[in-house]
Amino acid sequence: MKRGIFILLIVSIFLTGCWNRRELNELAITLAIGIDKSDDEYLVSAQVVVPSEVSMKGGKGGSPVTLIQGRGETVYEAIRKMTKGLSRKMYPGHLRMLVISESLAKEGIGDPLDLISRDWEIRSDFYVAVAKDTTAEQILNVQTPLETIPANKMFSTLKVSEENWAATVGVTLDQLITDLRSDGKEAVLTGILVTGKPEIGSSKQNVETITPAASIKLDDLAVFKDDKLIGWLTEDESRGYNGIINQVKNTVGTVSCPEGGKADIEVLRFNTKVKGNVKNGSPEVAVQVKIEANIGAIECPIDITKPESIETLEKAYEKAVEETINHSISNVQEKYETDIFGFGNAIHRSNPKEWKTMKKHWDQQFTDLVANVKVDVKILKTGTVNNSVVEKGKD
Amino acid sequence: MGFFYEKKNNQLKSTTPSKSQKKESNKKQPLKTSLQDNIKTVKDTLGESTDIVIREIRIGKGGVLEAAIMYTDGLSDAASIQNFIMESLMLDIKDKEVESELTPNPKLMSTLKDFVMTVGEIKDVDLFEELFTALLSGDVVLLIDGYSEGFIIGNKRWAERGVTESTTQTVIRGPREAFSENIRINTALLRRKIKDPKLWMENKVIGKRTKTNIAVMYIKGIANDDIVEELRLRLDRIDIDGILESGNIEELIQDAQLSTFPTVYNSERPDVVAAALLEGRIAIIIDGTPFVLTVPALFVEFFQSSEDYYQRADLTSLVRILRFFSFVIALLAPALFIAATTFHHEMIPTALLINLAAQREGVPFPAFIEALIMEITFEILREAGLRMPRAIGSAMSIVGAFVIGTAAVEAGMISAAMVIVVSITAIASFVSPTYDMAMSVRILRFVFMGLAASFGLFGITVGLIALILHLCSLRSFGIPYMYPIAPFNIDGQKDTFIRLPIWKMFTRTHLISQENIKKQQNPASAKPEPEKDQ
Repeated sequence: MKRGIFILLIVSIFLTGCWNRRELNELAITLAIGIDKSDDEYLVSAQVVVPSEVSMKGGKGGSPVTLIQGRGETVYEAIRKMTKGLSRKMYPGHLRMLVISESLAKEGIGDPLDLISRDWEIRSDFYVAVAKDTTAEQILNVQTPLETIPANKMFSTLKVSEENWAATVGVTLDQLITDLRSDGKEAVLTGILVTGKPEIGSSKQNVETITPAASIKLDDLAVFKDDKLIGWLTEDESRGYNGIINQVKNTVGTVSCPEGGKADIEVLRFNTKVKGNVKNGSPEVAVQVKIEANIGAIECPIDITKPESIETLEKAYEKAVEETINHSISNVQEKYETDIFGFGNAIHRSNPKEWKTMKKHWDQQFTDLVANVKVDVKILKTGTVNNSVVEKGKD
Repeated sequence: MGFFYEKKNNQLKSTTPSKSQKKESNKKQPLKTSLQDNIKTVKDTLGESTDIVIREIRIGKGGVLEAAIMYTDGLSDAASIQNFIMESLMLDIKDKEVESELTPNPKLMSTLKDFVMTVGEIKDVDLFEELFTALLSGDVVLLIDGYSEGFIIGNKRWAERGVTESTTQTVIRGPREAFSENIRINTALLRRKIKDPKLWMENKVIGKRTKTNIAVMYIKGIANDDIVEELRLRLDRIDIDGILESGNIEELIQDAQLSTFPTVYNSERPDVVAAALLEGRIAIIIDGTPFVLTVPALFVEFFQSSEDYYQRADLTSLVRILRFFSFVIALLAPALFIAATTFHHEMIPTALLINLAAQREGVPFPAFIEALIMEITFEILREAGLRMPRAIGSAMSIVGAFVIGTAAVEAGMISAAMVIVVSITAIASFVSPTYDMAMSVRILRFVFMGLAASFGLFGITVGLIALILHLCSLRSFGIPYMYPIAPFNIDGQKDTFIRLPIWKMFTRTHLISQENIKKQQNPASAKPEPEKDQ
């Protein structure tokens, strides 16, 4: 009896049929998905890796990725219809980029995002971007030098740019959904566009020249109200936005010297605290920014061996940052009337009772909100030389 | 000792005396008075085997006594039969006082023993059974007409291998000598290491036909008496035709017969066995094999090399951890690879996934079959390498390396990544200092590969849980196999995953030795004094 049960158990292992087993060469590894909408139909484009072309052995010289498309009334339908042109089932587990066309974003991204966030195979750590002035299909149709897989190129560009320049924001799916669901913060997404001649972009020719005919570039931030795109920030505003939401890791700021000329400040640490407050029934926020920086370059006659000149530069940069932040707040308040900075969340945290009544009309409240910006800059080091090299030559 | 393996009593059901035993009962006969009758019985029983030499002589004044010297050619030292038996009986006593006493009288036998025979080892014999055992072990038998008793004269000498260097457990630093096939040499090697009068030895003869000598050695006062008694019981239960190697004994006395894990330790190194004795373990030395068994065996013991104690403690600790890590690799590497590439693609970093996918393009088999092909190829190569004549070994290894390596990949049958996984697994399985553990891992690896191929990581996890439960349920002579990990013992951790310096280890392994726990009486004084500035 015991032996019988034992044998039954062993046999059952081999009767599983290996449920859900998929070999690597049965997968269509999809690294980027683009969603367009035309004539009430979704057009979904998937950038699928051609493994043999990416391998170390080098392929036959074909394209490293291929674009598969499907049309359907819903995104899910469109994706399933793709198999008509694909010998393998799409595997989106390693998705890096989701590109949504500007026109679809203007209609609202909520519906198409539902499937993407619901499907268990798709992770939520990929970046979402908006195709500016073009279609998502077009973006996925450009070959890139340096990174053989265009999706990887977009992914790492977003990451590197976010860390070193701070004018773009890599928004992952889970962040985006949090923003969409939140009452106190609206969503933003980075714009992505094709420069040059997109019609050459998809051919091998594009990566054969030093300057590619068509290339993918990141652009400024798209502002959303609920799930609809309502406009774009400028680069300065984008940097201001990044400063407020404490997303700056490392950036470079330029200040004017008192006696003319420019100096570059390299930001090492950037820390922002947003505190909400309700004064006489109207909301207020205090934005406190603490910056630690180095001197990056001096292009003006200033003697930085003197502590006073360092102080002057600190003051100048404090003013510059303050202006940038103030400018982006007031611009968003006036033009878009949507709280992308998450000030609502700050009020929610500090005055939860008042927030309950405020959140219904938060867009109006946000427009009238007073933001007190305070910036504190500390310059720590001056780099490997003291004064400007030109300055030294004059002595 | 409440934790004795509960099945111990039905381990070896002693078989009832069989018919064959009855047939041989004529050996229980006492010797006869007539010399010719005795010679006839010997010849009949041995079927007149040609290597049995029976030399009839006459001794005493005027040759009044008929006698016979019997020995097995090749097992006895012919020169000393000549010099010390024949000469002392026939030449040395000529015209001496004692010669006159060599007449048929009742005291003849003791006179011979006390005054004539110039040999060291001599004892009386009056049963045919004893006579045959002695004769076939290489001793000389002396029978005299008219007496129903005779002498067994110790005179064994045969061609044998001396003490040579250990080949199965090599070390960089440490004694080179290994046990040999002779039980006496082996016990002598141990005595030379431990000159304690408390090092006791018991002899047993096991094997109805082989009559193999077995010595059980332990240090009285350190070894647990209950375990010694249990070992005696298990050895006494053995009723078998022949014991040719310690592996026979091991299978007959081990606790868990169906487990792949060894619960008896074996070594051919005297220093390893001596260390085991000092820890309170019991050594079983079997004549005819250089492999000495020690019990009880713990899981961690199979990851300890004797060199661990001759090298620096810090280095040893790192190497120990490396061995446990290699154990995990040897057990799980192919299974994890199969699980990750067929079920859990999301676990692999994107760049690696694309690389692996590129390698798999055109490979016709599923990852599991691919791994199985490679593993089996490797097992075949290994087995062939062990058995084939040494002269063609190098040719085989070239072909083997080529097949298992590049050719399989270039032919598009196997992906390159799988070759790497199988190779690292193969190498990792040999890191374990004992061969037994490597073999047990070898079997389990295939089980885990099967589980991974049908259930993915879930299967591996379930398999690991079952494995750990099994390991924790094992006992070796009553001692929990996983001790000191489970049951956990803080003192035992000094010599498990790491090894502390010797001056920190002043207790023996608890459970194994329950009396006389302290190795060093004053641990503080054992620590080297720090040098003082002058």
